[in-house]
Amino acid sequence: MRMPLDLLLPSWPDPHLDLGEYDPEADLVALNMGPQHPSTHGVLRVKLYLDGETVVKAVPYVGYLHRGVEKLCEKLTYVQITPIVDKNDYVSPMMNEWAVNAAFEALLGVEPPPRAQYMRTIFAEIQRIASHLISIGTWGLDMGGAIGGGATVFLYCLRERELILDLFEEVTGCRFHYNTHTVGGMRHDLPAGWDKRAKAVLDRISARTWEYERFLLDNPICRQRAEGIAVVDPTLAMELGVSGPILRASGVDYDMRRDAPYGAYGDIDIQVPVRTEGDALARALVRIAEMRESARIASTLLDGVPEGPIGALKPVKLHGAVKLKDGEEGYAAIESPRGELGTYVVAARERRGAASPYRLKIRSPSYHAISLLPWLCPGHTLSDVVVIIGSIDPIMGEVDR
Amino acid sequence: MSLFDALAISFRNLFRPKVTEPLPWKQARPRADRYRASFALVHDEHGEEACIGCKMCEKICPSQIITVTPGGKVESPATGKKRGTCADFTLDLNACIVCELCVQVCPTDAIIMVRVQEKPGFDRTDLLLTMERLYANEHKPLAWSSGSVLVGMQDPKRVAPAAPGEGED
Repeated sequence: MRMPLDLLLPSWPDPHLDLGEYDPEADLVALNMGPQHPSTHGVLRVKLYLDGETVVKAVPYVGYLHRGVEKLCEKLTYVQITPIVDKNDYVSPMMNEWAVNAAFEALLGVEPPPRAQYMRTIFAEIQRIASHLISIGTWGLDMGGAIGGGATVFLYCLRERELILDLFEEVTGCRFHYNTHTVGGMRHDLPAGWDKRAKAVLDRISARTWEYERFLLDNPICRQRAEGIAVVDPTLAMELGVSGPILRASGVDYDMRRDAPYGAYGDIDIQVPVRTEGDALARALVRIAEMRESARIASTLLDGVPEGPIGALKPVKLHGAVKLKDGEEGYAAIESPRGELGTYVVAARERRGAASPYRLKIRSPSYHAISLLPWLCPGHTLSDVVVIIGSIDPIMGEVDR
Repeated sequence: MSLFDALAISFRNLFRPKVTEPLPWKQARPRADRYRASFALVHDEHGEEACIGCKMCEKICPSQIITVTPGGKVESPATGKKRGTCADFTLDLNACIVCELCVQVCPTDAIIMVRVQEKPGFDRTDLLLTMERLYANEHKPLAWSSGSVLVGMQDPKRVAPAAPGEGED
């Protein structure tokens, strides 16, 4: 099913208000899950109203990790913003860098050179694998230490992720929070022989993806906990602005890499994995299929990295090197591992200094995914809530910013 | 589809090589040449302190942790030219986000990243890199990037890829 252009608004019952026939004082137990619960992937707090062990109502509360990044960006110059937004989605920092710099470049009218475009695309795909490895691994950890699931999958996934972090360390010098994108291109060029090492790592990981898949599918304990749990309705998901693997697991064939190509994605044919079940297991399987596809895309692109410069603008030597025109505004988005990650920039009025934005808004996919929780949790047991939160894979640093 | 298939995968992994290292007994693998962990101030080829106190790094630092107090202009004994000096330089590593922007903007390649982490401390001042500590760090393994290397790499007019320049320890 393709994304319809006109999203009609059917009358969904509002789970925030509607408690049905229950009397909240007499029948229900209110339970706060989080903000320091180990399975809430950070500091998500979900207030659950329980009838016995069954969830009647769930209300997510966010804001425990609010750091004021968007406000901070108004103070910083365009050059200084890149290392700061690295910390938003701390499982896939490359994507944050690309999202803000894509917006600045769209406003400046600068096109990065082809080598920079290829490098960005390759880094993004490798980062997507690393992010999905964390997602699959921690989801297995959430479901407890069952045989074949649990800590085993987590450790196997992190073992493979280390190889990816080693690759990035070689190029950028950091295993995390790279600061390798800049306005108009990249800051670090590929070292000699990196493409061969990257290909070896990608081959190794894509050869092992079937293991994670078999771990989840062959394991009756895992299947019983994940199959049919938290089925996401595609219309509801689209209405809430959910994108990424959650939407694709519900049968909506929407991927910005293919539908609105950016970077070097236009040069390559992308097979978007889609499943129609919409449950927790389908979301994990979509992520595993995406890992395989990302490894294929990155290996293919590594064959054809063009030679040439990696930056379109002069290298940054001043903190105010990049200036945007007065009051210009624009939006650019990329497909992060969790969905559409966009940045809306309004350039500063003149008296505030043209080198820093007037307003910078980050549209984070996890925030929209969190808003599914009130619809997903009711009717499931308390132990299923852990599986549901793990399967929508929220990153609280990105939700709260 | 059974539990034993999942167990068979676990069994295969029993015979894969270990990826962990017994850290206190065995040295960890060497860091990449571009690895960035700490900072050093270096001397130039004439043996003078390379920092001229221009405050570029202080201005670009996103977390505002660098404080530079410029000294007066003096005549360099080696070259005979007038050059700026730096009276005091403080870098608060507690709040550093290791973004490498200060290295990139340095006009004299005075500030360089070090590949060895500072030792953890019990006091906030233990990670406050004063000028003496920064110049003492010069003898630790330095990272590969400096201001001129980064700028040469990012030059939009560059035709051939810059020589990677790796391997130097």
